[in-house]
Amino acid sequence: MHDVHLAVAILVLLGVLTTLPRAIGGPTLMDRILAVNVIGTKTIVLLALVGFMQVDLGVSKGAAVGDYERAGFWLDIALAYALINFIATIAVLKFLERRVRERDGADAS
Amino acid sequence: MTETPSLIVRYVARRAVPFIQLYALYVLGHGEDGPGGGFQGGVIFASSFVLMGLVYGWGRGREDCPERVADVIAPAGCLLYAGIGAVCLLLGGAFLQYEAFVGVDADHHAKHHAHHFGLIGIELGVMLTVTASMVTLFFEMARPDDEEVADGVAEEVDAEGEDADA
Repeated sequence: MHDVHLAVAILVLLGVLTTLPRAIGGPTLMDRILAVNVIGTKTIVLLALVGFMQVDLGVSKGAAVGDYERAGFWLDIALAYALINFIATIAVLKFLERRVRERDGADAS
Repeated sequence: MTETPSLIVRYVARRAVPFIQLYALYVLGHGEDGPGGGFQGGVIFASSFVLMGLVYGWGRGREDCPERVADVIAPAGCLLYAGIGAVCLLLGGAFLQYEAFVGVDADHHAKHHAHHFGLIGIELGVMLTVTASMVTLFFEMARPDDEEVADGVAEEVDAEGEDADA
């Protein structure tokens, strides 16, 4: 299972790499926000996969096959990352919304 | 007070808040044998208030944790931390030596339990202080101007706004 998890992790990493130009180059701010959000989501999957790879390592060293408790730390971090990522996106969008509103208000007056 | 127009964002935020708070308590409780502890749990707990403030507007978010409550909770957490240490001192141990709760002659098992509960107690103190401080920091930095509160602007930002930002 270790190879499968490693392959999936590399694929996800490739997905992150393909989103990276969009996050850096834009062209619009919305593209960047979406790209950063996608990278954040993929990071959660990566964290979970690294956790499972640790389980695989334990299995290869003689632990029970269903010993997913070792992945617990990584899943905890992934969960926290998911929650914080959501709030960060909301905050950036809120900031953007306010900026648009202020600029429109300045145009109107 | 501005309110996020999107029903989806409001719904998701409202559903997410109890889970964020539950997760914060989990992080607090598993600080000994997992990633986390009082500080991390406090930050995650505070993030739920930040989310409410962001989505439902400053005033509604501040209602959940008013200034008076936050100003009491922050020092109360410090007091809990220092208080547990002081109780250990009074019981004849060193500062924060939790074994003093059960006495020097207690068996290993009881000492272990005393250590656990003492640790959870001071972590709870840290969590209370961190939560109140983070909430205060966020809401004081995000405090809207007075005229903005009076205006009560809730304009809808639609797709035009996205294009204009290019």
